[in-house]
Order: sequence, then C-alpha cells, then structure tokens
Amino acid sequence: MLGVLYALMQRDLKRLLAYSSVENIGIVFIGLGLALAFQANGMDLAAALAMTAALFHVFNHSLFKSLLFFGAGAVLTSTGERDMERLGGLIHRMPQAAFLFLVGCIAISALPPLNGFVSEWLTFQAILQSPDLPQWGLRVVVPAVGGLLALSAALAAACFVKAFGATFLGRPRSAEAEGAREVDAFSRAAMAGLAGLCLLAGILPGFVIDAIAPVSRFVLGESIPLQGGLPWLSIVPIAESRSSYNGLLVFVFVLSTAALTIYGIHRFASRALRRGPAWDCGFPDASPATQYSADGFAQPIRRVFGTLLFRATESVEMPPPGELTPARLRVGLRDPIWDLLYLPVGRAVEYLARRLNVLQFLSIRRYLSLVFSALVTLLLVLALWR
Amino acid sequence: MALVLLLAPLLTGYVRKVRARLLRRRGASVFQPYRDLLRLLRKEVVLAENASWLFRAAPYLIFTMTWVAAALVPTFATGMIFSWIADLIALIALLASARFFLALAGMDIGTGFGGIGSSREVMIASLAEPAMLLVVFTLALVAGSTQLSFVAAHMASPEVGLRVSLGLALVALIMVGIAENARVPVDNPSTHLELTMVHEAMVLEYSGRHLAMIEIASSIKLLLYISLIGCIFVPWSLAPAGAGWQAMGIGLLAYLAKLAVGGFLLAMFETAIAKMRVFRVPEFLGAALMLGLLGTLLLFVSRSL
Repeated sequence: MLGVLYALMQRDLKRLLAYSSVENIGIVFIGLGLALAFQANGMDLAAALAMTAALFHVFNHSLFKSLLFFGAGAVLTSTGERDMERLGGLIHRMPQAAFLFLVGCIAISALPPLNGFVSEWLTFQAILQSPDLPQWGLRVVVPAVGGLLALSAALAAACFVKAFGATFLGRPRSAEAEGAREVDAFSRAAMAGLAGLCLLAGILPGFVIDAIAPVSRFVLGESIPLQGGLPWLSIVPIAESRSSYNGLLVFVFVLSTAALTIYGIHRFASRALRRGPAWDCGFPDASPATQYSADGFAQPIRRVFGTLLFRATESVEMPPPGELTPARLRVGLRDPIWDLLYLPVGRAVEYLARRLNVLQFLSIRRYLSLVFSALVTLLLVLALWR
Repeated sequence: MALVLLLAPLLTGYVRKVRARLLRRRGASVFQPYRDLLRLLRKEVVLAENASWLFRAAPYLIFTMTWVAAALVPTFATGMIFSWIADLIALIALLASARFFLALAGMDIGTGFGGIGSSREVMIASLAEPAMLLVVFTLALVAGSTQLSFVAAHMASPEVGLRVSLGLALVALIMVGIAENARVPVDNPSTHLELTMVHEAMVLEYSGRHLAMIEIASSIKLLLYISLIGCIFVPWSLAPAGAGWQAMGIGLLAYLAKLAVGGFLLAMFETAIAKMRVFRVPEFLGAALMLGLLGTLLLFVSRSL
C-alpha cells in the first residue's frame, strides 16, 4: 500500500516500477499470512486457496514486472530518458513497444481479462473465507486488510495510468522523445512473449492453478480442487454457488462484442474520418508544456493521501510583479517508515556508541577487571540457566 | 443484454426530464438521448492530429466492457445463462478496466483538459473502487457468495431480515454509484465549465461515433448501478430461475418500476444539492469507504455472537 503510493509520487519510470514491486510483494504476503492463519485453525481448504493465490501472484508478478522493466528499458535505449516529465508521445514512435507495455500495465493493475486480476480475485476469495477464524484479533484485522488491498489495487491502476499516459501518450516533451525509434526486434519479441504469457495465464488460469497445486499440497497437505477439467475452463475455488470466474469467456465476450460493434457501426452508420487540430475547448496550438505532467497527474492523490502519510508540503514561490522569472512549485515528501523505524534505531545505536565510547580510554587494570567481571557474570548466568 | 442497451438512453432521458420538471423547465423529450445518439452515429469523426490507435480503440472497448458488466447484473430474473462466468468482484474490475481506458484516452491527445479529467477521475476511482469492494464483501458475507444471481436470490428469500450492515452497505453503494456515474455532488454531467468537469474533460476531444459509444456506455453504467441497487436491496418480484412467462412479465414490470423510482430519486437528489469542490470529494467517498468497512467489520465480528 505504501509502496504503491510511493510509486505514484515517482517521476523516474524504473523507480516507479521498483516501488510497485513493494506493493506486489505485500499482496503475496497477505496471501501467505492468510494461509498460515487458516492452517493454524485447521481450515485446510481455505489455507490452500490463500497459498494458491499467493503463489499465483508470485508467478504473475514475475511475468508482468519483467515485461514492464523490458518496456522501461526499451524506452531508455531509444530515448536515453527515464524521467517521465521529459517523455511523452512515444506511442507514435514505438507503437509495438507501447502496446506491449500497455498489456503489462493492464495486467499489473489487476484488470480482467489478464492474469493480475486472477490472483487478486483469488486473494479476495481467501479473505472472504476468514470470518470463520476463531481469533478475534484476526477477525477485526482481516476486513481492514481486505479494504487496504482493494485500495492498493485501485491506486496501482492510477499509478499505471500515470506511467503509461505520461510516457507513451500525449505529445513529446523533449527532443529525445521526439526522435525516438522502435527498439530492435529481439527486445520486442521478448516483450511479446511475456505479454502472451500474461494473456494466457489470464484467460486460462485453471492450468496455472493446477500447476501450483502440488506445491500447496506439499506445504499444507491440501490443495484446492483441480480446475483443468471444468466446463469452459472456468475456475471455481470452493463451490460454484460461492464464486466462479471465467477469464476465457470474459475475454471472448469483450473481443467479439467490440468487433461486432465496430463492424456494425462502420457498416451501417458512418465511417467518415477527418483529421483536425485538437479542440481543447477552443485554445488551439498550445505548447506541449501545457500537458498534464506526471507530477501534476498524481497531485490530487498526493493531496488526499500524502498530507497525512508523507507530510507532503507544497509551496509556491511567486516572483514579485514585474519580474519575468517563472514561479516555482516545491513539493516536499517525508517517508514515515524512515522517520519512525530507521531514525529511532539509528539514534539509539548512536547514543549507545557514544556511551560505550568511554570504555575505550580505560587503564589496563580496569580492562582486566572488566574482563574478569564479564567472565564471572557469564558463568553465573550459565549456572543459573542450568 | 439487448434490453439493457435499449433501456439505458431512456433512463438518461427520463432522469433529465424529471430534473427539468423539478426546476420548472419543460425539458427535452425522454427520447432525446436516442436522437442524440443516432445523430452522433451518422456524423463524421473529427480526430485530433496526434491521436493514436489507443484513442480510436478506447470508445469501443469502454462500451463493450461496460456492456458485458451490465449483462452480469440480473434485471428482472435471477437465472441468467452467463451469470456464472464472472462474479461481483469481476464486475467491478470490468468497470475499472473501462475507466482505465477512458483515463488513458483522456491523456492521449496531450491537452490540459484531458489530463485534468484523467487525473481527477483516477483520484475519485481510487477511493470509490475500494468502497465498492467493501460493499461486495458485506454482501458476500451475508449471502455466502460473490455470485450476483445467488446474492439476489438470497436477498429475496425471507431469511435475510433487517441488518445494520446491509443498511450501511446500501448507503455506501449509493454514494459510490453517484461518484462513479459522475452525478451532481461529485461531477456535473451537463457542465462544460473547465474547472468543474471530470468526466466531460476526458471525452472533450471525442466526436461522432466515438462520442456516441462513450455516451451510451455512461448511460449503461447508470442503468447498471440502479439495477444493481434494485436487485440487491429491493429484490422483490425478481423472477426465479426457470420461471414461467407470467413471473417473467411481473418481474419485468417491477424492474421498470424500480428504474423509474430510482431515476426519480436521483433527479430529486441532484436538484436538491450543490456540486462539491474537487477536494471535498475524498471526504464524501472516504465516508462511503468507512461505511463499507464498518458494515464488513460488523459482520465479521457478529459471526460469533
């Protein structure tokens, strides 16, 4: 959750991806934690479900995160830029890489019919099993975790709208982005392979689940029922009356309806098309600098979540009237984990070190007595232990 | 599915008409949205010079995803052929995909308005979506299923009774529905004033058949939310699976009545309230989120009592 919020604040494409890994690992750990909690209470089937969800997400993450990193690498090689504020409009220069990156974005944002959605769906199903847990503490915490998971999924979607939109859409914000070229065929083929796997795992999740089943059986002694033989290749983790999902049919429905609609409209309505300058509420030919920047895109979310969590501060320095220097907007972020976890530990270590520093300047007698008393103390402790 | 497609513009026209009457205007005919759509379909598309393939594909994807999502909601009968392919969580995710593409399309041309619309839309969605999922959690825990047909059938059965969690979930769902459909306190569907628009800002560059697709998708979404609320919280006279024509007919009439009442209440609400500032919206949706969480939490805790 914090990871995805961080990712939203980033301008650097690769850093954004790295922070989003934190979020995905969090999802995996939710699954693993639930599996442990279920197993401790003898709910083997639910434990197997949570375990499967976690492992499925690990598998998915390995697919789409590699795809996205390849995409970021492709952008880097063709433009030499990782800063999203200097990219833009790459969809015209490198359409294939853009399409493949888009597939990765959809997968990681947990949108159907790709694979990211399936594992999040399984995690949600596992969370829905948890009211049967006997512990009160867990029962209070788990719905909150479910809420946070939902929140982080929505924020991940926002984050990748930002990443894709700022990098590939709009107009180029720098000369490097203007002159970008499509990367070579091998990198594109690698990305295409991963994107294909993402799609396959998304529309045929049953086979992946079956492949995971032995692991789950090995670790927990139980696995969720085999999915491969179900009609229409849908997945049914518990029972059909509880929940089922069929990625294949959703995919087929969406594609076929879209194709039919496009055909119908182009056949029976109009297919005329004219290119003109952008309308933009009647302000033609603004410079590319008037586009929404990646930072600006994240600003509402930064204001909603950031003021409390990161103590985000914004200040505008306006030049005095008559001067022609541009106004500056400054954004400050602080990491609560850094402040609350690492800094106190660091301070404590420093304090102790300063105190113990005295010991460095003792005479040899005192050192010997120190060693002696330490020995006696240790022996005493050992004697009392026995 | 075809019923949804046919009824959606009518519902939009009806809500507009009721609003106009409440403001003591005559208002356009209820069939005006059909005429608008037909006119838009016949017109040529004026595409911005730097629009990419994504911009042209997005309206169709948005339309189909919303339509497939709407096809999963029981309208007047619970036993639907394809209801098992996806559950409530998948339904929300389908709507989220549609929004994902809409937000991307808003950023495609590279104008200030598209960006502002997308940015605000994802901000609103980042709060509305979890609230919606928590409502789903509540329903799933009450009904023991995330399958919408089963939920509706369970809610219609007499064993449910009044529950605090369900009340909280209803309020949260209504708030989410208002935000998701860009209705008044969150967004104004009829504005073109730069600083206040969210949804309209994203579709500013669309014209002709593309705009028609997006318009009908948003009509369908409104219909979807009202039928969702109808089939879950007012599930009476939903025809059960395999019912005869008579039950189906009664169900259909009841469904139309539900839509009429829902649309009327929406219009009443819209005329009675002013639009919020954009940064008040998180408070509004935060309240929905908390209500959803409270509902789920109550159910989790009350299991042992």
